Amino acid sequence: MDTIKELAENQTIILILSGIEYHRGVLEVARQLSGQRVAYVTLNKTFSAMKDDFGKEGIDASKFVFVDGITKTIKKVKGSTTACYYVSSPAALDEISGALSKILARGFRYVLFDSLTNLPIYGGKAPVARFVSGTVAMIKERKGMAIFYALGVKEQDGFIQESGMSVDKIIDLRMGGC
Amino acid sequence: MGKARQARGTAGEKMKKIMVVDDEPDNRLTIKTVLEKNGYVVVTAVNGDDCLKKARKEKPDLILLDVMMPGTPVREVVPKLKGIKIAYLTVVRTSEAEREDLVKGKNIVDFIQKPFEIRDLVRRVRKAAGG
Repeated sequence: MDTIKELAENQTIILILSGIEYHRGVLEVARQLSGQRVAYVTLNKTFSAMKDDFGKEGIDASKFVFVDGITKTIKKVKGSTTACYYVSSPAALDEISGALSKILARGFRYVLFDSLTNLPIYGGKAPVARFVSGTVAMIKERKGMAIFYALGVKEQDGFIQESGMSVDKIIDLRMGGC
Repeated sequence: MGKARQARGTAGEKMKKIMVVDDEPDNRLTIKTVLEKNGYVVVTAVNGDDCLKKARKEKPDLILLDVMMPGTPVREVVPKLKGIKIAYLTVVRTSEAEREDLVKGKNIVDFIQKPFEIRDLVRRVRKAAGG
């Protein structure tokens, strides 16, 4: 998939990946956006793990800014930095929105959201679908472009379809490569 | 099992008790089934708060603790479980350095990444809890 071309044609995309291809697919998109100013929301890996992964793969993430929903759930964090906004947990939807808004205000154009599958739906699917819709609206308003990753699992199909109504395109790579 | 009695194996030895803490019912059931088949007594909790409530009464030999759950975050739950061995069992990925840091915690004995091989899970539970 040519990420930059796809995003030029469709401002917001849900990218569905299989469990086997997930890690590789996410890294490949990041590789294609190497050197760009990217806001990366991570809800399944810590900022530190992301840095390790990108480093090992030779991906230039020096211009990436992260919103990390994991680290604070497992340890104390002093505070956010210019490279990473730490939010309390993947359930802190308002904090995620706030951090994303600040990063977009700094002129970042690309958003990678990793992933919809990790958005907790304890409070029901409706609030999460509203969050996705609100996030898409905010990105579009700031002329940004976004890829929302989703793990292709049956249990999430309904939620992904519902969230899909907010974006411009759904790309399902479960059957193909990235 | 009676609340004051600890289950015993066929040889009369005390069976080790594992508490599985996960908000996903399927995960709780799968792990419970696997561990029971391997000779453990298994109790479950649906989140960190439930774990804190039940741990005092159940006194497990090992807690398998998911990281991403609703309610009190695990970084606040773990210090309240002094004296009980804990293994994180999670889909969350951390860096090598963070994992090493986490298992430096007095009662953190392992960091098991989901998805896991059943045989590997049993081996690691056995290593941590015995039995």
